[in-house]
Amino acid sequence: MAQESTEIARGLRRRDPELLDRLIEQYQHRLLRYLVCLTGRRELAEDLFQETWIRVLERGHQFNDRYAFSTWLFAVARNLAIDHMRRKQPASLDGLSSQREDDDEAPFDVAATGQASAFDLTLRREQGEQIAAGMEHLAVEYREALVLRFQEGMTLEEIASVARVPLGTVKSRIYRGLSALEPWLKGERL
Amino acid sequence: MNSSTNKNPHERARRLIALTGPDGLSNNRISGSFSDERSSNAWLAAHLETCGSCRAFAENAAETIHGLRAIPIAAERSLVSATQMMVRRRALELQRQRERVWLVSICCAAVTLSALLSTVALWRGFEWLGARAHVAPSVWRVAFLVFCMMPALVAAILLLAKDKDRDKDKDQDWRLAAWIGSYRGRSE
Repeated sequence: MAQESTEIARGLRRRDPELLDRLIEQYQHRLLRYLVCLTGRRELAEDLFQETWIRVLERGHQFNDRYAFSTWLFAVARNLAIDHMRRKQPASLDGLSSQREDDDEAPFDVAATGQASAFDLTLRREQGEQIAAGMEHLAVEYREALVLRFQEGMTLEEIASVARVPLGTVKSRIYRGLSALEPWLKGERL
Repeated sequence: MNSSTNKNPHERARRLIALTGPDGLSNNRISGSFSDERSSNAWLAAHLETCGSCRAFAENAAETIHGLRAIPIAAERSLVSATQMMVRRRALELQRQRERVWLVSICCAAVTLSALLSTVALWRGFEWLGARAHVAPSVWRVAFLVFCMMPALVAAILLLAKDKDRDKDKDQDWRLAAWIGSYRGRSE
């Protein structure tokens, strides 16, 4: 991983368009998923997705190859999301969750995917729908911690580095977020 | 784990479950030493055997995490290609900008060098002229200063004159607008 990070850092310093194309392809779904989770709005997430890559191009020389590229990428995306919200209303990530109240569009719309059996597919879809509904009602910081931990498979230290919070806070957020989703999974809150 | 969670074994167990996820403690996802992990793992396994509510929590947590992973949010092809195009365009802009900055820097360096050289030559020229004209050194030095400042003075005068013209135009516009206003008032 260290060698890969070094190569990425070198390419970013050169502003190598081939490398950026490859990185956009590689991180497209992960980054968009994270931004949708942060903003709760697909359109805004797509705008921020593009802005993030422009920022990566412009500030690529700041990437430190001691860290994983994904950690830095998510941190850049997070900062842009916060900047966007500060421009709209002077608040931090809390603004992102409050904004979603007026939004009719469901950001976590679930579509059936994969090559599983019909039963598995239905079960997974139902489970996904329930969790997606729960995620929409979760505070953004919990949502972010859960997505980074269980969708992106980041370590607790990496999440702390992206969210710029102490490790203990990350642990609490994951625990509380997961506990808050429990009633949704059981179908008690649908 | 801190002391407060140690006091409540259920809380401790649930935190451990939440942090490790369905893959279990063996996957090294909790920060801490290996021996800590092994002891936590053993403790959790023993606790889950005896505690039904924590076992249920573990099952729910596993399902929740599977559910989380089952939420499909995918970037569309059009978004990716549009982003790639934007990034390429911006990269080109930045490259051109860098080339311009480089060109301007070279020009600045050349101008500074030529100014230094020409200043020395001019100084000697004025000194020679002063000696030929039999004037005091202070006179040709002042003349040299005025000569050096001449381009800047001319540019400043021209700019001021331009601003004055613009002000005059503005005054005329205001006067015209006031006249139109008063004319309309009279006609109504």
